[in-house]
Amino acid sequence: MTLPQFKFLAPTNLDEACALLKKHQGKIKVKAGGTDMIVRLSHRAVKPDYLMTLKKIPGLNEISWDDQGGLVIGALALLREVEVSPIILEHAPMLARAAHATATVQIRNMGTVMGNICNASPSADNIPTLVAMEASIVAFSERGQREISLDDFFLGPGRTALAADELAIAIKVPAPAPKTGVSYQKVSQRSKVDIAAVNIGALVTLDGAGNCARVRISMGAVGPTPLRARQAEEFLAGKPASAANLAEAGRLAAADASPISDVRASKEYRKLMVEVLSQRALAEASGFAAGN
Amino acid sequence: MSDNQDFSVVGKSLPRSDARIKAVGAAQYADDIFLPGMLYGKLLRSPVAHARIKSIDTSAAEALPGVKCVITGADIPKIKYGNWRLVPESQDEYALAIDKVRFIGDEVAAVAALDKDTAEEAVRLIKVEYEELPGAFSVDEALAENAPVIHDEYQQQTPNISLDRKISYGDLDRAFAEADLILDDVFTVHATSHAYMEPCSCVAEYDHDGRLTIWTSTQAPYFVQCLLALTLEMRENDIRVIKPYVGGGFGGKMEMRPWEFCAAFIARKLGRPVKFTLTREEELATGRRRHPMKIHSKVAFRKDGMILGKEFIVHLDGGAYNSMGPTACFLCGNFGAMLYNYPNYRYYGAHVYTNKPPAGAMRGFGAPQALFVAETQMNMAAEKLGLDPIDIRLMNAMETGDEIPGVATISSCGFKESLLKVAEMTDWRERRKNLKPGQGIGIGCYSFISGGVFNWFNTRYNFTRAEVRAFDDGTVHLMTMASDIGQGCDTVLRQILAEELGLKISDIRLTAADTAVTPQADLGTWGSRVTLMAGNAVRKAAQEIKEQLYKMVSLKFDLNVIHDMRCKDGKIFPANRPDRNISFGEAVRMAQRANRGEPIIGYGSYTPRNKGLVTPAFSFGAQVAECEVDRETGAIEVKYMTTAHDCGTPINPMAVEGQLEGSVHMGLGYALCEQFIMKEGKTLNTTFLDYKLACAEDMPPGVSVHIDTYEPDGPFGAKEAGEGLVSPTAPAIADAVYHATGYRCMDLPITPLKLLKGMKKI
Ligand SMILES: Cc1cc2nc3c(=O)[nH]c(=O)nc-3n(C[C@H](O)[C@H](O)[C@H](O)COP(=O)(O)OP(=O)(O)OC[C@H]3O[C@@H](n4cnc5c(N)ncnc54)[C@H](O)[C@@H]3O)c2cc1C
Repeated sequence: MTLPQFKFLAPTNLDEACALLKKHQGKIKVKAGGTDMIVRLSHRAVKPDYLMTLKKIPGLNEISWDDQGGLVIGALALLREVEVSPIILEHAPMLARAAHATATVQIRNMGTVMGNICNASPSADNIPTLVAMEASIVAFSERGQREISLDDFFLGPGRTALAADELAIAIKVPAPAPKTGVSYQKVSQRSKVDIAAVNIGALVTLDGAGNCARVRISMGAVGPTPLRARQAEEFLAGKPASAANLAEAGRLAAADASPISDVRASKEYRKLMVEVLSQRALAEASGFAAGN
Repeated sequence: MSDNQDFSVVGKSLPRSDARIKAVGAAQYADDIFLPGMLYGKLLRSPVAHARIKSIDTSAAEALPGVKCVITGADIPKIKYGNWRLVPESQDEYALAIDKVRFIGDEVAAVAALDKDTAEEAVRLIKVEYEELPGAFSVDEALAENAPVIHDEYQQQTPNISLDRKISYGDLDRAFAEADLILDDVFTVHATSHAYMEPCSCVAEYDHDGRLTIWTSTQAPYFVQCLLALTLEMRENDIRVIKPYVGGGFGGKMEMRPWEFCAAFIARKLGRPVKFTLTREEELATGRRRHPMKIHSKVAFRKDGMILGKEFIVHLDGGAYNSMGPTACFLCGNFGAMLYNYPNYRYYGAHVYTNKPPAGAMRGFGAPQALFVAETQMNMAAEKLGLDPIDIRLMNAMETGDEIPGVATISSCGFKESLLKVAEMTDWRERRKNLKPGQGIGIGCYSFISGGVFNWFNTRYNFTRAEVRAFDDGTVHLMTMASDIGQGCDTVLRQILAEELGLKISDIRLTAADTAVTPQADLGTWGSRVTLMAGNAVRKAAQEIKEQLYKMVSLKFDLNVIHDMRCKDGKIFPANRPDRNISFGEAVRMAQRANRGEPIIGYGSYTPRNKGLVTPAFSFGAQVAECEVDRETGAIEVKYMTTAHDCGTPINPMAVEGQLEGSVHMGLGYALCEQFIMKEGKTLNTTFLDYKLACAEDMPPGVSVHIDTYEPDGPFGAKEAGEGLVSPTAPAIADAVYHATGYRCMDLPITPLKLLKGMKKI
């Protein structure tokens, strides 16, 4: 399909970009890789007067690590860059797995991880792992810079906590505590390249005795926003990651999920998958934690 | 058995003649055509599944600047059309709805405007008042008492059954009485999309001489020509249909469709060219699809595995119009009795109207459905009788010379060889013993037609015709209406002609699929008819050329009349004296001189004769699928496909291989992931995001082997390849899934949810 008419803006620094955002509030949309935005435009799901690309702003694609601050993923870092980055593979390999699980290599060479987050689709591949890892978004506007925890970032499908004049400029992922492991699990209708019917990110930190000290589970595609499996997290705290405990945690996670039936999967299937996948994610994460 | 001559061009994996132009992106499809002053058309489609049209107000649309024309059913001749011209009452469609709409997507009005956005806007401005009627959305609903009658304008024996077919032979009651095992099962199979890469598109132009020309993405230019003539009330010869490059069809482009009519109608009305191109959403939401069916199949076996008989009752969920449903209904009955010898057989098939997008022809034409059932039941019977699934098949398999009562004689058959070959290649018996939990291996088989005999279109011409012109520079020009829609017949027909004339493929120019210049007629690309039928016609035309040229060799060398002659390597010579040769071009020059300038032209036609009502030749094959199932998530991974098939002589083995891979892709989608999610006649998954085609990464590795047979009725021994092979994949995968999980699928597709329910996990 053809694109509708709009003015194309390509600011070359953040201040200019934010000024444009403010000036054209309500009539402007932001594009990073465009793999979501261009589709929405051609389907006339959005009809902005202005489309602003971030691609001409230098420095937004950096991926960096420091032992205190943890990981920073710039807003323009491509899915493919995250998938193969030596820094990510060393410090947060599950983020690479989630990026790899997103679409096809052609799309990954266009799309960004930040775009995946800001698009705020309940089934987005890169969100559950980042939520589990307590990531936050650095938001920037003329008013200054602030950090929004991913736990508070999603308001509904396609809706985020970013204000109309704010740009997301980076993802911050804190350095994980010792004895921490992470896992990403996904099922979809088609076996390989597909949107998730359910996806789960899990983080487990073990204490000296080998019990679960901290557990975070994020569930995708089972609610309007990514959901935390709080009952399961609380249940596991202080307990060993035994098969029986993980099975119970899986059941509790399913109880916390509130999926709907839609063209991609039925409610009953999604519930069962939350149970299966959270169990698998917790098993893998605690296994990694024990090895770390 | 193979031909006694060794081939020079046939049987070689030559690159396709369209490979280069497609690889560089220069091939022009209908949507690539831009004519001066061209308008853009858009259809208004019904948002309701079943309703009477009370009024249509087009004034706002007409007032929109840029809109040049708006038409509705009131503006067009009230003439119904359909491909089944032999049965006039089966022609049940108007190009634009006149009294009623019968499915969501039924075409109600058309707009032509200066640009696409304006046309779309204008369509939104048309106001239609509907009086909604209750709908029927399944075979059961349509056949229930007090069901809404979908076509109430003519009397049907049973409301909503547009057409039925019965076949019966032998003594079935006795077969059931004598049986040791009776399988009595009801299966349901679902609709899938052709998902051709190129959505339908056409450009129509009406010139000052009163001729209409239409470039259209079609499999059957001749059908479009005839049915446009009918519905536009024009003479066939005043309509020129040209097939540009076509990006796939799979059966979905073998009818005249409303956008072709509307483009032509508006072009004639305004004297300006008009283009219609469908969106993918329109294709998925409203397009033709494979027939969903409800199949009741009862099969009688003796305890040693011998089939005694079968009763096969099929209800086709046809959607709102007949489309190609009647053919599917006929063929289902034939495919139900194929592959094995069913000494006693009874078929009842009924084509049922429902308020859904019409199902039409689609790769396999009734075979994937009938054979999913038949092959699954063979696997069930083997298990119940304690036999190996391959042994029970070998015991019942058809062979060369077998006859299907009143239908056909099998003139070549490599079925048993195919079964033995896949058993050997997969180490079948050992593999079946050594499966780990979650692993499965299963088998499915097929047979298919090489073109149809039954003349439902009621053509007044031969089924296909070729004209070959020979030139004294050693080249020839082949003219045929056979339509390459991506399957490669332009290449294959050139190979056949080059072989016959002893030329190289590069010596052959081709003009195809233009009703004004290529010989009348060819019925189109469907039913795997082109290689055999057009191939035979091309060969005959070439033989006429050869006769003319042989005379020149005889003359020049003063040869004895008994000499056999050969054309090879660009030369013509007596078979036993290759030294006495003249070049092809020289022979043409001499023949032309001898005839005082008359050009050297050969004609050939083909219409099947004495081959029963179904087809001149059947292909056969067997396929084994190996799967791994995640028994907690229900995810199925097909690990490997092994195929052995009999297509007679593969004219171009590389093209055959392409067909095989494509059919595995389509068969795998049919088995596992492709389906339309429908609610009250509305298709909910209308993009490729949610209509799940298997991706490249989902394609399993595999191997395929050609079984060497020679089809006496085919050109150089060739018969069908690639359409039939879409059938065995689903039953083979379903059988593998059964062995991996214990879940026997009776209701395609095998989704994770159904599988987990079958395994009692949900
Ligand atoms: C064929 C195909 C397959 C796909 N498969 C998958 C899949 O398997 N899994 C999956 O999760 N997704 C999938 N997607 C969706 C998409 O590719 C991803 O969501 C991708 O990460 C989006 O990134 P982008 O840079 O292209 O975003 P864009 O399209 O540029 O933007 C997406 C949204 O985020 C906003 N945005 C982007 N950057 C910023 C910023 N810095 N500040 C504020 N707002 C911003 C935009 O305004 C827009 O609303 C697929 C898409 C396609 C076309």
